[in-house]
Amino acid sequence: MTQTINESLVSTGAALGRPRMGPKPQARTRSKDLLSALPWIGPALVLILGVVLFPAAVMFYNSTRDISLSGVDKGSVGFANYETLLDFAPLGGIMARTVIWVLAVVTVTVLASLALAQFLNKAFPGRQVVRLAVLIPWAASVVMTTLVVYYGLEGYIGIINKFLVDINLIDVPYGWTKNATSAFIWSIGIAVFVSLPFTTYTILAGLATVPGDVLEAARMDGAGRIRTYFAIVLPQLRGALSVAVLINIINVFNSLPILKIMTGSIPGYDADTVMTMIFKYIQNEQKIDVASALSVIAFLIVIVIVAIYVKLVKPLKEL
Amino acid sequence: MKKSLRSGGITAVAAVAAMSLAGCGFASGPESTGSDGQTTLNLLVPSYSDNTQGLWETVIADFEAENTDIKVQLEVQSWDNLNDVVTTKVQGNKAPDIMNGGPFAGFADDELLYPIEDVVSPDTLADFQESFVASSSVESVQYGAPLLASARALFVNEDLLEQAGVTEIPATWDELLEAATKVSALGDGVAGYGLPLGSEEAQAESAIWFYGAGGGFGDASKIEIDTPANLEGAEFIQKMVEAGATQPDAGATDRSPLMDVFVQGKIGMIIGLPPTVGQIAEGNPEMNYSVNPIPTVDGEPFTLGVADHLMAFKNDESKQAAITKFFDFFYSADQYVPWVTAEKFLPTTESGSAAMSGDEDLLPFLEVLPSAQFYPSTNPNWAATNAAFKSLVGQLAQGKDAKAVLAEIQSKADAG
Repeated sequence: MTQTINESLVSTGAALGRPRMGPKPQARTRSKDLLSALPWIGPALVLILGVVLFPAAVMFYNSTRDISLSGVDKGSVGFANYETLLDFAPLGGIMARTVIWVLAVVTVTVLASLALAQFLNKAFPGRQVVRLAVLIPWAASVVMTTLVVYYGLEGYIGIINKFLVDINLIDVPYGWTKNATSAFIWSIGIAVFVSLPFTTYTILAGLATVPGDVLEAARMDGAGRIRTYFAIVLPQLRGALSVAVLINIINVFNSLPILKIMTGSIPGYDADTVMTMIFKYIQNEQKIDVASALSVIAFLIVIVIVAIYVKLVKPLKEL
Repeated sequence: MKKSLRSGGITAVAAVAAMSLAGCGFASGPESTGSDGQTTLNLLVPSYSDNTQGLWETVIADFEAENTDIKVQLEVQSWDNLNDVVTTKVQGNKAPDIMNGGPFAGFADDELLYPIEDVVSPDTLADFQESFVASSSVESVQYGAPLLASARALFVNEDLLEQAGVTEIPATWDELLEAATKVSALGDGVAGYGLPLGSEEAQAESAIWFYGAGGGFGDASKIEIDTPANLEGAEFIQKMVEAGATQPDAGATDRSPLMDVFVQGKIGMIIGLPPTVGQIAEGNPEMNYSVNPIPTVDGEPFTLGVADHLMAFKNDESKQAAITKFFDFFYSADQYVPWVTAEKFLPTTESGSAAMSGDEDLLPFLEVLPSAQFYPSTNPNWAATNAAFKSLVGQLAQGKDAKAVLAEIQSKADAG
């Protein structure tokens, strides 16, 4: 019995300091490792190549071409499309608005989710039902949710407008979705609403990993509730929080339906973010080449943000 | 037992993976010629109303019954999506064979279309009304088969005007401003003049004001937006908005929702088309309304004519005969007239016009049609101009300087 154990331990080299017997494993070359792993990572590689890299490459390619309004490729124009973008005066405002959009939505979502997760972590009668109810904004189609609010905010037929008039907050129905600032703020509200479930559940999962004995020790040491939260719970949530924030940043940056529906009827470019601008180029002006150039710029911005984030916050590092 | 279960599981997963790969690879490829000499035509159309799909399906069923070797695949899209869909199809080399749309000059420039004389018989070609041939041609070659036309007229809610003490239907702009201000003063959410400068059809409402001021959009060779006459029109729009004669937030209001509000009796006057008559009959049959000529700056008659076209894409030489058969079939009076009558538009063929001359609802529109002006849709920069109007002209109602807005639209139009 012991003999077998010794032999197996020795052949895997698990015990340090003991001379290893048997053939010395050569320093296997990286490529050999890769080749032997290919059957396992092959399908994933094909998927990444096909679904991520190929479209991205086509997008880069299209941004250097002149594509006619009907979609016919008419040849290379180098970086002329990027120049068109740089000459486009409202672009600065659009970039600034995108930053505000991402910051506002992610911050409010995270703060609200922290509170909501804390609440859902407590045991109370009906907790299961409330937890399931929190899932609904995530499960429901974003377009549908936005349309409900959009029609509610309509001047003539909207129930939200009617409600606000009835409780005397405003005198006459206001065109919330027809003015840039109000439409933008309502959009932020809807975006927070649909981002809450995912963030709450991620933080809930993180809360579940906070060891109970640490909390008890803190209580024994006389730490108040607030102190316990900020000194013990929040640092433990760091992993879950950083994942939630990163995914939220990427999703909110790329989010289109909410803004398109809420601000789509506003003329000019005062309520646009980068994503809605790309779609305005595609749908209104049918300039696929300029839209591709703007997509490339957005793509690079997201990569830079993610790189900075990962470097600073190190979400994958163990605590 | 375990081993067979595992191998069975592996086989099942492999089969599902293979099938799903095969499925997504060849989902929507239109075959041009089947094994038994069958030709398939792909027809891409927008929907004008809830009935459009049914009407096309009836035509196709009759056509396929008469021509058993041709099958027609129908695809219906909304106007919003139509451009996207066809551009994507063209990019993917899967352009439809026949398409119903408005602008076709872009496709003609890219040499994607058959000249119409190649795909209709001489009889059908001669049947198209003369007034539409010019707007269906690019450099004297006709690429579009005019399908239907609409003209605009001023729909007036007689009850509201009476309530406000307006006795005469306005014929000039000053009269319009006066009448609309009086109606708006009635309060309770009522607006005097419905001004839809939202992105749905901003170019139509702008055309009413720009052409009505004696200006316009330009012609087949040059797009001219930034002109003194147009500035007059733009400034009058702003005057109307500032006087409170229009509904609030005019710059972001689309035409279709605003038409619904008119049908509900909350708007005094609005520019409407032939289908509006049916809309009112359906939504508010009790409404006391009248159809009148559009007011212009000096009272000169004017209406905006819009013609939509059928166009044939040059995909596959073998389909030319089939396309010709379809066009000849569709434009014959017993197919064309019921179609256009049901959609409540104006006919573009002589035979159609003769058959529909008795239609009372269409009479006011047929009367104004001779003074119709059309968009310069054969100008290669028209699509960019169209887009510029839709996204920018609403700023007029939001207080932006009129000259600046016109200059913005002009520069976008020139950029192409």
